[in-house]
Amino acid sequence: MNNSLMILKNIGLISEMFFGMSLIYLILFGSVLSTHKKYPIIQKTILNLSILVLFLYILLNLNNNLSVTGNLLFNFTIIDDYLSFFSKILITSFCLICLLVIKKYIKDQKVNQFEYLIIIMISILGFFLLCSSNDLITAYLAIELQSLAFYIMAAFKKDSFFSVEAGLKYFILGSFSSALLLFGFSLIYGLTGTLNLTDLKDLFFFLYPGIDFTTDTSFNTELLQIALFFILTSLLFKLSVAPLHIWSPDVYENSPTSSTIFFAVISKLSILVFISRIFQFSFHGLIYNWRYFVLLVAVLSVIVGSFTAISQKKLKSLLTYSSISHIGYILISFSAGTFEGIQNLLAYLFIYMLAGLCVWSIFLVLRLKKFYLKKQNKDLTDMSLLIKMNSALAICFTIVLFSIAGFPPLVGFFTKMNIFLTSMESSMYFAAIAAILASVVSTFYYIRVIKILYFEEVIVGNLYYPLSYIEPFIVTSTFFCFMFFFIDPTYLYIISYKIGLLFYFF
Amino acid sequence: MLKFMVFIDNILFILLSIPLLGSLLLLFIPSWDKNLLKYVGLVTTSLTFILSLFLWVFFDKSIGTFQFTGKLFWVPYLNLNFTVGIDGISMFFIILTTLLIFICLLSSWNSVNHNLKEYLIAFLVMEFFLIGVFSILDLLLFYVFFESVLIPMYLIIGVWGSRERKIRAGYFFFLYTLLGSVLMLLGIIYIYSKTGTTDYEILLTTLFSLKEQKLLWLAFFMSFATKVPMMPAHIWLPEAHVEAPTAGSVILAGVLLKLGTYGLIRFSLPLFPEASFFFTPLVYTIAVIGIIYTSFTAIRQTDFKRIIAYTSVAHMNLVIVGMFSFNCIGVEGALLQSLSHGFVASSLFLIIGIVYERHHTRMVKYYGGLAHVMPIYTIYFLFFTMANIGLPGTGSFIGEFLILTGSYYLNTTVTFFSATGMVLGGCYSLWLFNRISYGNLKTQYLTHFVDLNYREFIILFPLFLGTLIMGVYPSIFLEPMHMSVNLLLENMNI
Repeated sequence: MNNSLMILKNIGLISEMFFGMSLIYLILFGSVLSTHKKYPIIQKTILNLSILVLFLYILLNLNNNLSVTGNLLFNFTIIDDYLSFFSKILITSFCLICLLVIKKYIKDQKVNQFEYLIIIMISILGFFLLCSSNDLITAYLAIELQSLAFYIMAAFKKDSFFSVEAGLKYFILGSFSSALLLFGFSLIYGLTGTLNLTDLKDLFFFLYPGIDFTTDTSFNTELLQIALFFILTSLLFKLSVAPLHIWSPDVYENSPTSSTIFFAVISKLSILVFISRIFQFSFHGLIYNWRYFVLLVAVLSVIVGSFTAISQKKLKSLLTYSSISHIGYILISFSAGTFEGIQNLLAYLFIYMLAGLCVWSIFLVLRLKKFYLKKQNKDLTDMSLLIKMNSALAICFTIVLFSIAGFPPLVGFFTKMNIFLTSMESSMYFAAIAAILASVVSTFYYIRVIKILYFEEVIVGNLYYPLSYIEPFIVTSTFFCFMFFFIDPTYLYIISYKIGLLFYFF
Repeated sequence: MLKFMVFIDNILFILLSIPLLGSLLLLFIPSWDKNLLKYVGLVTTSLTFILSLFLWVFFDKSIGTFQFTGKLFWVPYLNLNFTVGIDGISMFFIILTTLLIFICLLSSWNSVNHNLKEYLIAFLVMEFFLIGVFSILDLLLFYVFFESVLIPMYLIIGVWGSRERKIRAGYFFFLYTLLGSVLMLLGIIYIYSKTGTTDYEILLTTLFSLKEQKLLWLAFFMSFATKVPMMPAHIWLPEAHVEAPTAGSVILAGVLLKLGTYGLIRFSLPLFPEASFFFTPLVYTIAVIGIIYTSFTAIRQTDFKRIIAYTSVAHMNLVIVGMFSFNCIGVEGALLQSLSHGFVASSLFLIIGIVYERHHTRMVKYYGGLAHVMPIYTIYFLFFTMANIGLPGTGSFIGEFLILTGSYYLNTTVTFFSATGMVLGGCYSLWLFNRISYGNLKTQYLTHFVDLNYREFIILFPLFLGTLIMGVYPSIFLEPMHMSVNLLLENMNI
């Protein structure tokens, strides 16, 4: 009994295999049923089955035999450690909630093909593979899988000009950045002869200043630095940091919101996990080559995100630019290169995803009462009657916005404070001052939304449909999970500490 | 007996939790039952006030260290714990807070009609944050509470304020204070990264180098100067005061302005003594310019509330002059002046609120000759105007006198210029009072006059009594402060 379980675990990636096979079954089921003579719309069925598959995936993943160093599988190309476990559980649970929330939206937007959900599941599979990849080629394949699925998700509303434009933009720019990524990987292969992240770590850790003076550093690091820049540029492109962010407001705004919730909330996690694996784990020795570049990009991103969002009139663009500035904060703490940097990255990312989930689910759940039900992109002024239509939702929205703004005593403040703590400890004073002043600027547009909600007494405004049965559960459970974090934020620190230990196992 | 002593030992936690429990209770009361809401709010705040008086009764005047201390472990990972304790400096601010919130709720009995439940909850939550600010002994949590006060105040100004420029006032208030405070956050983070703790009692024993002290003092000063408010950053105050509802102005003038001076005396002076001494000329210059400039500006105003807002600025800048005088007389005078300003300015805002509730205008030109028809109102108004000027017999005189004596030890020129502030204070206060109370009734504008009713009399009476006692026998208020202020000044190594 024990023996057979050990064999199963040594094969590895059981849960992804289950996921892939159930995906194939779903495709078969969908295509067989949708060609039935009565042409049933099986959207809801496939969605419920996908939620079931995700839930079973979590259960499969929980029975793991993990240690800090992790298990290397499939000829050292897949790693199974706390970081991958944590990110997979996080992605799965958030995707589950996202799928629950987009149910009614899909019905309203008349996206009647069941393939939409299959594509979402394929992108989630790409996330899983990316989070546990230990090899550059595996990572590239996973990124491509995820990105291709995203391009289709962005363009899925075939009768909307905007959606098609978004998909095309995303496709062209995304594949361009993937090409850069591949070029960087090939340069690394040409220089070192290996593609494995653990081997690269073993090769380069002695380059860290001060570790070993006696080793002859006959490595020529200039070409390596160029390779690192290519990889970094490409990955930051996919994360939409400034100055590589120009595609993201267009894409996020024009694609259907059910896709945007995946772009904005979930895609960042896997790419940031991969970035930290490459740069903090493998190329930690070359830290002085990539550190200041990341810091510069991060501060620029914070400033661009904060200032540009002031002039936005649509809520979706506002949330997009705020996510750009949040990724900037995360990268500030990442560029410190210390243990606390990674810890704060993970903690902030978790809180950012939770808050993003709450905000985007509120956005999706509010359906404006219009003749043309498909036109759901809300202006800021559409929020003005929300307090009369649904005051509990308005209060949730307010409190989540205060936390996104990083305002005490909510948990967003503590994570932001930790980021500044990391930057102060690494003596990056000017970055801290610039970022914190930009955060004051960003507070303005958050309290502007609160002003629109509460301070104006309007007589004429847009009305909303009441929420259906399951939506209040989702919104309030994410809201409570998120709001009362500040009572005991110790859990954040402990979990991120345990995961961060991976990066300090030399 | 033992249970009572346990109760007294934990009184600060009880004081902190009663407003929160009250607001939680208010959540369950339906919003159409306005009377029940108001009574529950009143009972909560009066209970808090009576319990805070216990702080005074059981205060030990012979020691200067922190009393009624308690500690709750919160985030051990960051070494961040919920340490509370008061000494002579903070005790009176807590009593002032609870008294003023009680009076605020009474004063808005009839004037707030829409969203009454949220209004009361905002006030109770703000009371929690304010008591927290004055009693917490941890630097980061002080910052958290300091900033958290902004949220309910922003909502109060924005939702229940007067119609015209309330949104602009809300933005000014929020963003000015936030911009100053984030620099303080960076300073706190720097301290935490260097010392590993933000516990106040431990930080009092650490030495910072002079360069560090100067930069940190400046970072902290940015935040406190905006709150005080000092000269170039004072613009939010007239806007916020004018647009806030009466109770909002009362709590803003009475307590929120004291946060800045409390922060200066609690954190800037003891933690960075050499830097405080180094920057005293800067502070004095800004403060004196503030006093004279705002006093002159107040003479030109036509809005009743704006005049009193500008006098608040002038008085608080005088407090700063006293606080940076580095001797016992000056600092105690500064604290007493803060307290007395809390009483006087709040009562002046209540007075304007009384007339505003009746006639819904704040312009001075519509009022005249009110002494003929509202005599009891005029008595109160006269007394508080005299207190505003600093007439002997009121607490303001004692405060100003002690401040000027204290700063005379340090710098006579500054004392001279601040004293001219007193004269200018007389100028605009008497002008205002004269215009409103004496002369002929302006019946072309207003025709229907009603004198104070019982509730309004009751809300002004404790403030009247407090100011009078402070003026006639200030030792009651000064004695608990002696040991704490002496301890603070002795540990400053100057």
